[in-house]
Amino acid sequence: MSVTKKKLNPWFKRVLFGIVLFAVLGAGAIWYIFNEKFSDTSGVNADLTISAMDLIHEFEKNDSLANKKYGEKIIVVNGMVSEVEGADTTVNLKMADTSTGSYIIFAFQPQHREEAKGIKQGQEVSVKGSCSGGAFSQILGTEFITFKRCALNK
Amino acid sequence: MKKSILFIALIAATGSLFAQKKMTTSGTVNFDATTSLDQLPKAENKTVIAAIDTKNGNIGFEVPMKNFTFGNPRIQEHFNGPKWLDSEKFPTATFKGGITNIASVNFSKDGTYDADVAGDLTIHGVTKPVKSTGKITVNGKTVSANTEFTIKLEDYGVDGPQIAAGKISKEPKIMVSADLQ
Repeated sequence: MSVTKKKLNPWFKRVLFGIVLFAVLGAGAIWYIFNEKFSDTSGVNADLTISAMDLIHEFEKNDSLANKKYGEKIIVVNGMVSEVEGADTTVNLKMADTSTGSYIIFAFQPQHREEAKGIKQGQEVSVKGSCSGGAFSQILGTEFITFKRCALNK
Repeated sequence: MKKSILFIALIAATGSLFAQKKMTTSGTVNFDATTSLDQLPKAENKTVIAAIDTKNGNIGFEVPMKNFTFGNPRIQEHFNGPKWLDSEKFPTATFKGGITNIASVNFSKDGTYDADVAGDLTIHGVTKPVKSTGKITVNGKTVSANTEFTIKLEDYGVDGPQIAAGKISKEPKIMVSADLQ
């Protein structure tokens, strides 16, 4: 009794290889997307550096334009802390224009929250974070600019 | 100078809404739309503006939508994108309402009180009346407010294939807490 080995069509082999490759790459891409995390902001290069007052004034002048310019950019903001405000179990830092009441507020990345707690009102600091943009508050009657994933810029 | 005058005028105007107000700009809102299929769609926002008038129980919240922080960049992008909450067009979510059982809450005496809250919630440019129960804790000069409720995304014009597929809860949980001074 003889055993005959059936040869696979070379085109079928190529198609099969393509399907397997596509499935592996697809699975890899899905794994990457679902496991992707934001980097530690302290290690991310800033897109620009600006003083708190200059940033506030730009938003006060035209917040639509300022939102386009600064929205979702990593920015270093230099200025004096006007308030250290309790936020649940952590703190946010604020820099305000005392003449208009407009302010910038910085929410820190979990790994940088302890360093924010050490900052005092009146202290000059440099904060790096992702600018979420600004809007006019109907409650406060002032412009407010929010930052997320912040770290002290050392 | 003009801005200073405008600022003082606005303070006076908002003062009529919140005559004896306690405020914070660091209120917290947690958003949880996780399902058994996907644990990623949850976020927190610690830069919420909140005000409460201890005289008449009026409450106001303003939530900057783009300052919700997700663990996953892609989910955050979808959350703010035009197919979801379109945060470019609708940068804030707001709540305007009040405590309906104000007689049960004594703002001048330390303690924790049950509060019934009703008002208008605006998300994605859509305003709906909502009711919730919460806790008001008075501790000296600080008033802490806590509540938890769910919303139906379709009520606010938010839908999409991921919601239909069960990867995002159709009724996410919203947890609000604020220490007002």
